[in-house]
Amino acid sequence: MVDNNRFIVSHAPFRHDGSRISTRNYNIALAALPAILLGIIYYGMPAVGVISLSISSAIIWEFIFCRATKSSITIGDGNAAIIGMILGMLLPATAPWWFVIIGTFVAVIIGKQIYGGIGANPFNPVVVAIAVLMISWKDIFDFNEALINYDFDFAMVYPLSALKHFGVSAVDSFSMGDLLMGKQSGGIGSTFGLGLIAGGIYLIIRGIIRWEIAFSFLAGIFITALLFNMTDSARYAGPVIHLFAGYTLIGAFFLATEDSSSPVNFIPMLIYGAGTGFLTVLIRNIGVYVDGVIFAILIMNLVNPLLDKIRPKAIGRVA
Amino acid sequence: MKSNKELQIAYVLAIILLVVGVLSYSAFSAKTPDQPVRLMFKCVAGKVLFDHKTHTAESGYSISCSDCHHNLEEGETKPQACGECHEAKSQDEDMPNRSDAFHSQCIDCHKEGGAGPEKCASCHVM
Ligand code: HEC
Ligand code: HEC
Ligand code: HEC
Ligand code: HEC
Repeated sequence: MVDNNRFIVSHAPFRHDGSRISTRNYNIALAALPAILLGIIYYGMPAVGVISLSISSAIIWEFIFCRATKSSITIGDGNAAIIGMILGMLLPATAPWWFVIIGTFVAVIIGKQIYGGIGANPFNPVVVAIAVLMISWKDIFDFNEALINYDFDFAMVYPLSALKHFGVSAVDSFSMGDLLMGKQSGGIGSTFGLGLIAGGIYLIIRGIIRWEIAFSFLAGIFITALLFNMTDSARYAGPVIHLFAGYTLIGAFFLATEDSSSPVNFIPMLIYGAGTGFLTVLIRNIGVYVDGVIFAILIMNLVNPLLDKIRPKAIGRVA
Repeated sequence: MKSNKELQIAYVLAIILLVVGVLSYSAFSAKTPDQPVRLMFKCVAGKVLFDHKTHTAESGYSISCSDCHHNLEEGETKPQACGECHEAKSQDEDMPNRSDAFHSQCIDCHKEGGAGPEKCASCHVM
């Protein structure tokens, strides 16, 4: 049907303007490239392995599912590849192969296909997968333990776990510039702040993600972190570390903005973004988990249908 | 661009990346360095991250090997793990067990130098 040029709707004939889902996804891949490349430069071939296996296995899972359910093969739209790519970006470079493959299985099959495929998933598939992996294999997601043999010219303690376990003084040494330039421990494609921001701005300009969500998410983090910091600056770190460490930036531009699990109207988008930011800092500061981005997005995905009820009234009345 | 072209791209991508992925996993298996960079001790009291490189490096705290690896012969660089002599439950009176050996060595030096963690929670992470 998507290949038709002409649709007869109620009154006029409309033309398809040629925009396709695949084009959107190619753009997302392009936007993610700088962050992935820096990850590969730092972590070398193991990072190439994780990202490659993640993309290919995500495509293959979707292919198998389409075959098994005898539906048309949808891998051409690039969505499976993007799911695999973003999943790989969140993993440590040392993730074992079976871990990656289980991850893409959960993301593509459980996170997306069983709900009816692209556009029908109530949760961000990648976030579902990461949540499952994180809870099931805590040690593989402990970046301190996972990246123990990597030696760089910057401190390789995972900033958020240093903050959680050893307090604010342990993260004094992280400067904003270093964090932005990817000089921190973390997932393969989630540490290069500047690259992620550039990619995000590109996607916003192309109209592929909504600035309202990304912006309100970051604002939510900033304000919540600042409030915590003002009440007790000895116990709670300021906004800089919360904004530029962990999954914050990849969350703002590549996770929270996922189409089908986020709202579409202006006010709901702001509430969704700000709520995610607020919950993220809440989990980081007083929860048990080191990073809160994943669970915050899941929770806000859950209330998303409710938020979408805040919408303009239709003009006139339906008889 | 039509769907069958897109489909072809997806197939090609999947196959190439699968090959690259399998190759990089099999050919570049992570090797552990001769001298540990960081070590993670795991025990009932949680994990302890020990930055071996910073403790030894000259740009770090430049502690000589034999200060910790106390049986190290002159010039030797491959010490035994502490646990090979210091068993978890030592029967011998003069022989500290594994965790006592760690505790007294790590904490004593931190106390003496007035630098480095002494409190439980500044080493142990649950
Ligand atoms: C501050 C104390 C300290 C210093 C100084 C130190 N080490 Fe170690 N080293 C350790 C500890 C603790 C271990 C872990 C032993 C274990 O796992 O039981 C270790 C482990 C090792 C291992 C791995 C042993 C194994 O089989 O697990 C090697 C090799 C090693 N050290 C070499 C060196 C060399 C060479 C130097 C000097 C440049 C040095 N170390 C200086 C504390 C130290
Ligand atoms: C080859 C066996 C061996 C290895 C390996 C070994 N030790 Fe020991 N260690 C001993 C023996 C034997 C003693 C008791 C006699 C003595 O004081 O020398 C001892 C004593 C100690 C003591 C008490 C010293 C004192 O002055 O009371 C500490 C602390 C200690 N070891 C720490 C370590 C640490 C830490 C490591 C690993 C980096 C380690 N040992 C590796 C054999 C070993
Ligand atoms: C011979 C002295 C010495 C020994 C033995 C020693 N340390 Fe240290 N440690 C230091 C010094 C010096 C510092 C620097 C503290 C600073 O500059 O703030 C330090 C800092 C630390 C820190 C905090 C900063 C960092 O580098 O991560 C940790 C954690 C630590 N040591 C763990 C250990 C553990 C675990 C052991 C035992 C296996 C150990 N140390 C043995 C001297 C020692
Ligand atoms: C300088 C860092 C450091 C400090 C401070 C420290 N520990 Fe440890 N602790 C270690 C290391 C290293 C081990 C060895 C882990 C192993 O067995 O592999 C250990 C092991 C243990 C164990 C496990 C013993 C066993 O038999 O398995 C317990 C319990 C423990 N510590 C409790 C404490 C308590 C309580 C305190 C505070 C008084 C404390 N530690 C302070 C580094 C530290």
